[in-house]
Amino acid sequence: MNGVLLAGLYVLMAVGLNLVFGVMRVINFAHGELIVLASLMTASAFTAYGTSPLLSLLVVVPVMFLLGYGIERLVIEPVVDTPQMVSLLTTFGLSLVLINGGLLLWGAEERAVPVLTGAFRIGTLAVPRVRVLTFGIAAAATLALYAFLRLSDWGRAVRATAQAPTMAQTCGIDVRRVRGLAFALATALAALAGSLLVIMIPVDPQVGGLLILKAFAVVVLGGLGNLLGALLGALVLANAEVFAAYYVSPVLSEAVAFLVLLGLLLLRRHDPLAVGTA
Amino acid sequence: MSVAPLLAALVVVGGLGVLPLVGSAYALSLGYSVVTFTALAYSWNLVSGYTGYVSLGHVAFFGVGGYTTALLVTKAQWHWLLAAVAGGLVAALVAVPAGAAMLRLRGPYFAIGMLGLARVLERLALGWDSLTHGGRGLYLPPIIDTRGVYLAAFAVLLLLIAGTFWLENSSFGLRLLAIREDETGAESLGIPTARLKLMAFVFSALPTGILGGIWAWHLSYLDPGTAFGINIELTAIVGAILGGAGTVWGPLVGGLGISLVGEALWARFPRVHLGLFGVILVVTMLGLPRGLATALMRLRALPPTRFLIRRAVRQEWRAQGLPLGRAATAPID
Repeated sequence: MNGVLLAGLYVLMAVGLNLVFGVMRVINFAHGELIVLASLMTASAFTAYGTSPLLSLLVVVPVMFLLGYGIERLVIEPVVDTPQMVSLLTTFGLSLVLINGGLLLWGAEERAVPVLTGAFRIGTLAVPRVRVLTFGIAAAATLALYAFLRLSDWGRAVRATAQAPTMAQTCGIDVRRVRGLAFALATALAALAGSLLVIMIPVDPQVGGLLILKAFAVVVLGGLGNLLGALLGALVLANAEVFAAYYVSPVLSEAVAFLVLLGLLLLRRHDPLAVGTA
Repeated sequence: MSVAPLLAALVVVGGLGVLPLVGSAYALSLGYSVVTFTALAYSWNLVSGYTGYVSLGHVAFFGVGGYTTALLVTKAQWHWLLAAVAGGLVAALVAVPAGAAMLRLRGPYFAIGMLGLARVLERLALGWDSLTHGGRGLYLPPIIDTRGVYLAAFAVLLLLIAGTFWLENSSFGLRLLAIREDETGAESLGIPTARLKLMAFVFSALPTGILGGIWAWHLSYLDPGTAFGINIELTAIVGAILGGAGTVWGPLVGGLGISLVGEALWARFPRVHLGLFGVILVVTMLGLPRGLATALMRLRALPPTRFLIRRAVRQEWRAQGLPLGRAATAPID
């Protein structure tokens, strides 16, 4: 049950990564750090003013949306359509800057937002209330994104750009703005995930690498552009982690995402990134 | 093309060579880290520069070499140099199955896979308490005279420069470059890509492991955070990228540059070390994605190094009766 609730958050962490890759074929190595940045902002607001994390979401998410747009314009846009190595190292460099920024502003210690402690009891099961809440918000946000991509004009433009950028451009879509929007949206989703994450577990500026590994594992497990797949992937990963932590050792649970990912990549011969789009 | 840059390179390398005879203790320890990081940039370049498989976890082999050396020295009383060589061999041995698995992944998957491998090995070193003493670390006998470690690292560097130069002018190297440019195409031309990639990977792990072993002996102490340190990884990668991945000059220019700059900044602004690496990476990628050395070669400020391919191109042009203009002697990258 804990695994299932955790999965909701993992999906949210993964959709942003998925969206950026789908639209601009760039693996955003800094995605984990963007999540962490939002966590730290939320934690700071809570420590300084006692702001409820749900309230600070209203500020954090738009701020991160704008930040994402700025980053895309400044750093990502020039490396779209360059060799994979270039965009990979660029976003990797970006992640280092973000980690360092986080360390400068917040220091290396863990930050937490201990609200909503306690659990519901269902029979013999104890379900932490905070996990139910995060699951609900994460699920709502994921569905909202899905609806946006399916139903709105901008969403259609995003999907068109993902499928055939040149063709989209010919049809009068400003693909650069669409890419900016997609990255900004992905950053906003990362921000949402980060704000929820910090309610559940303490976060420090250096855990971003671990988060990207998880998000990546979810994306690969589920297949790109496949919302149901992402959900399944998140379920598998979250449950594997919970079980490993319980039955083997908590130290190992951090390596689970990596082992799952590696096993999967080695089993699947075809390139999982080659199919589908956001 | 002039002789000046070649002379300058000789002076730099020669100067590094005689440093132990003339330098102060500080100069020697600075020189040691410069030499080590330049050599690491060369090792990384062997696999990532030439095959295009960006490894973000090369420090895994550095750590394996370091731990092997530390254990052989403390538990079996080996001579440190022998232990470091053994460390390199063990790292190469580990690289065989690791490479066989990892190199099936392409692009970002390989990068993430290697990143994960390094972190898993770090966890292992942390958790395997009976062997590695976990987070408390291993203590090696302290060393007083650092000339030995300096010369050992310097020898590894010279071998790596020579090896890279050989690679540039061998069919092996050209095949690796073919993999970098178009792996499927290379495969369809009959290049055994899987085997060649693995060979490059293992050749790259060997010196990385030796350098890790020398590093452990030099520090007289090794814990998981040091052995698998992210800063070691980054200095090597950023050095190679800044100078130009997949060239002979690149790691020398970038490695020397980044370790000297790093030394100056590390002392003055230790808190922005990581971010600075990030900024250098991003700016290099946006401005000079092929690196400083490649730009200098284009400007003919650095002599070309790819003689084999140039000769082949010239022959081909002659056979087709094309004029041998500037284009035929231009550096090829």
